[in-house]
Amino acid sequence: MTRFGWWLLSVLAHALEPAERDVVLGDFAESGEGVGAATRHLLGLIVRRQTGLWWSWRPWLALFGVSWVAGLSLSRIVFRLNVDLFKYGAAYATSLTARQEVAFLLCLAGAVAVWSWTGGFVLGSLSGRAVWLTWSVFYFVVLDSAFARFVLMGNIVLRNPHTHETPLDSLRGTLGLLMATTLPLSVAALLFLFPALFGALLGVRRRILTVPHACLIGSVNAALTILMTWSTGWYDPAHLPARWPAVPWSTRVLPFLLASLPAVYLLACRLPKGSRPKDQDAAPPLVS
Amino acid sequence: MLGEFEYLLLSAAARLGEGAYGAAIRREIEGATKRRCAVGALYTTLDRLEAKGLVTTWMGDATPQRGGRPKRMVRVTGAGIQEAKAFFRAVSRASRGVSWATDRVRVS
Repeated sequence: MTRFGWWLLSVLAHALEPAERDVVLGDFAESGEGVGAATRHLLGLIVRRQTGLWWSWRPWLALFGVSWVAGLSLSRIVFRLNVDLFKYGAAYATSLTARQEVAFLLCLAGAVAVWSWTGGFVLGSLSGRAVWLTWSVFYFVVLDSAFARFVLMGNIVLRNPHTHETPLDSLRGTLGLLMATTLPLSVAALLFLFPALFGALLGVRRRILTVPHACLIGSVNAALTILMTWSTGWYDPAHLPARWPAVPWSTRVLPFLLASLPAVYLLACRLPKGSRPKDQDAAPPLVS
Repeated sequence: MLGEFEYLLLSAAARLGEGAYGAAIRREIEGATKRRCAVGALYTTLDRLEAKGLVTTWMGDATPQRGGRPKRMVRVTGAGIQEAKAFFRAVSRASRGVSWATDRVRVS
């Protein structure tokens, strides 16, 4: 086999557990398999392993609980940070002082970073080697669901029938808008991307946090939930038109609670053994 | 009851004895069936058999022939031997009296 063939196989084999990777590459070396056949065999094994991962409830919980539910809530918060940062910024001619506005924006930025890291960690912890899929869904849900929501609600019109725009022009416009929302080009998107990525990598390696770390993450999440619920109570009325009705705290807290779901999972994993669901004891082995 | 491929794998591992490992088992199966044996099928079936307690596996020594990479050694357990016997007996019983299981096969 050529040097390129071995390089290709070594790269692909990273989708397998380290021990299995060595065994399979050793088998190919021993049998003198050609690069085409070896690649086919390796891809077959990877597909079987990836499919096998989804027989467990863990990746499903990661996909629906974190990527979708927590991701949708986080998308609102990321979108909110983008808008508040560029539309209002500091000293936006309201009754609030510049210091209050900056404090709120910092709080929002901290919330995005912490909730993204926690979500990423739980994704890595629950999905293991299926994390590439659950994390990708998380990424697209967080960055693109606001765009999708506005299109569905009719706030963004992809093709206006009253103009003479050609289908190609409208397609170009749509793709441009989609790229702008999907690529991490804003401060908020970057504040989401890096913590979520590092959290996922750590989650795959560590699987569970130590009790002090889980308590710390739980406390920070709880503090941010309270802080965000309280601060939106005075920040929003100062920026929105007076005719808009005030939103009660019980409604304001909901997206923050949903974004904190991954932290609840982390804490539940560290409950004393007697009060923990039985399946928690069967946590997958640590990946070396 | 075992599946067909599980039986082939157990038989190959039992025949190889101390020298049973992934690549050798694959060669045995290909030699016996005259068909290609997928690496993916081999290792996922090995995992399944190990989970059922029919084989035990461990990491063997690395050899220069394998580029310094280890082998996954396989040993059939007592339970594995019993299951393979039961499968063989069932296939033998099911084949009793059928034309292809006797010498008097008529080829049309």
